[in-house]
Amino acid sequence: MGAEATPTENRLLLRPADFSNLAEALDYAAAGVTGCNFYNGRGAIDTVLPYEQLREEALGLAHRLLGLGVERGARVALAAETGPDFLRFFFACQYAGLVPVPLPVPITLGSHKAYVSQLKTMLASCRPSIAAAPGSIVSLLNEAADGLELAFSGSSESFLALPEKKAALKPLQHSELAYLQYTSGSTRFPRGVMISQETLLHNLRGIIQHGLKVRRGDRCLSWLPFYHDMGLVGQVLGSVASQLSIDYLGPREFAMRPRQWLALMSRNRGTISFGPPFGYELCERRLRQGEAEQFDLSAWRVAGVGAEMIHPDSLHRFAQALAPAGFDCKAFLACYGMAECSLAVSFAPLSEGLSVDHVDADHLAESGRALPAKALSDNNHATRRRSFVDCGSPLPDFEIEIRDKQGCVLDERHSGTIFLRGDSVMSGYFGDPDSTRAVLSPDGWLNTGDIGYRIGERLVVSGRSKDLIIINGRNIWPQDLEHLAEQQPEIRSGDALAFAAPGLDEIDIAVMVVQCRETDEQKRADLIERIRRRVYAELSIDCHIELAPLHTLPRTSSGKLSRSKARDNFIASRTQLPVDSQQIAVMAQQQAV
Amino acid sequence: MPSPQDILTDLYQLIETFAEQGQELDEETELVTDLKLDSVKVMNLMLQIEDHFDISIPLNVLPEIRTIKDLAAQIEELTRVAE
Repeated sequence: MGAEATPTENRLLLRPADFSNLAEALDYAAAGVTGCNFYNGRGAIDTVLPYEQLREEALGLAHRLLGLGVERGARVALAAETGPDFLRFFFACQYAGLVPVPLPVPITLGSHKAYVSQLKTMLASCRPSIAAAPGSIVSLLNEAADGLELAFSGSSESFLALPEKKAALKPLQHSELAYLQYTSGSTRFPRGVMISQETLLHNLRGIIQHGLKVRRGDRCLSWLPFYHDMGLVGQVLGSVASQLSIDYLGPREFAMRPRQWLALMSRNRGTISFGPPFGYELCERRLRQGEAEQFDLSAWRVAGVGAEMIHPDSLHRFAQALAPAGFDCKAFLACYGMAECSLAVSFAPLSEGLSVDHVDADHLAESGRALPAKALSDNNHATRRRSFVDCGSPLPDFEIEIRDKQGCVLDERHSGTIFLRGDSVMSGYFGDPDSTRAVLSPDGWLNTGDIGYRIGERLVVSGRSKDLIIINGRNIWPQDLEHLAEQQPEIRSGDALAFAAPGLDEIDIAVMVVQCRETDEQKRADLIERIRRRVYAELSIDCHIELAPLHTLPRTSSGKLSRSKARDNFIASRTQLPVDSQQIAVMAQQQAV
Repeated sequence: MPSPQDILTDLYQLIETFAEQGQELDEETELVTDLKLDSVKVMNLMLQIEDHFDISIPLNVLPEIRTIKDLAAQIEELTRVAE
């Protein structure tokens, strides 16, 4: 198409998310010249969508949605492929008074069945009246929506044929929902986070005014999925609410050609881009000899890092490899957040890079105290250290407490569960009062399930939601792995425990301990292979399977199965994990590519 | 346009680097479960396929591919469209 990307410089005065709803935010942005640019995997522009045009098209689509006659606040399920259609639908919902629900798109091989069943449970949870998907995957959506009573379901294009209803639009107002976010919860039991307009805009103001201090001349780039909280709130909505131009690369395109991230940041002189540590690592591993010099990353002032535990080593390697491109390691900005708090909870100070806290690992394990590690202990033995990245101070209006298992508030440098309260916190999980009550107290405290400690005002996260397994940047719920094992005829419910444990390079691998009565070596090997294959087929990850005799899975003092004890036992049982031959093969290969 | 047999031959060569040493490959070999390709390896393989056959693999194709035969059929279809 050869279209020109929208400019970085705007003619509007920058308004940092001081709007009462998203429709108002887009109305304002549409008066300027900035907008969104969608790039393909080879770095060419596919679509340029200035905010002015996005608003026009969203308004047109809003009138078509109104014509379907669904009630105000009805949900609109959107398979959130990175592309202009998602934005048109998302904002059409805002104008029409409907609640958009971004849902994942299939990204893995042979995932037809697994994807359809995942979508089915999400649709059952959000009970939409309308559903839309890109034409290429609409057949999967229809399969998942089979049996649901929808006012309309179809490809994005098919909505254009609907008649427009000539009626006044009343956009979603500040106390109404802005969207439902399905980031949290397992594949089988998804939970839709409810975020209202005022909650969202409160958080966006925190991000834009305090976390990033967005200013004239900023330009964003994102390859994060639109159905991910960091991708949707941080990048898509954040750039609209601060009227910044943004360049998009699809997540799949990024995964195939990660160096495009650098090429586009360089070409358009991007200043703000976020990713999980995994993204930086992938990029660095694929970088070719002498290639860094071709890029100019000197404008990149915020290289946000979040979404999973941050291991500073791989980020240092990224910074080192890209120093010739002018990348400044002080651009790294550690942050902490979750969909339940709209997105952001805390940011490290800008332009200071990563700050790492080294603590004594033995003290931490035994007493839960995160005491600074000495380089050498008194008797000349080096203390075992664990290093955690400082995630900075919470945004204004967040209250933070670190509590022990009994619910008592802990002092600084005592590790415990992170509890939060503030105006960015969700109102609950959609249609799921039990799950809501389990994490949100009547007086507004959210139990994040994450583990951390405070140093003064600053927050250090030492373990994410204690059970969550994060592999290659994807959240895997242990319940989903355990369910796959329990479906084998010789395994009963409660016979499997899954967790993450450090593999090569400190990077976590998925491990599952399965107890069974089988003693025949061949049958045991067969069982392991069967489970591993099921895990690959459903979740596309490798899982290390260990078999244990019956009645040996560890339990808590109250008799419940304990994943964390199983994890500790597993780590203790081997001084060193076996080197995974496949992992080495893939690393060698990636270096060769 | 490459023949179906050419495509298969080239595909075996590309996939061999992802397989374990000495692993036998045939049309029914399942990419994810037999070859143990995780999502990073899958993307790496797709990159090589796109570059080798000069095609773009659309979003909707991945969920339908289980075996080497499925993959070859999709590539054949995509190279035909590209002509």
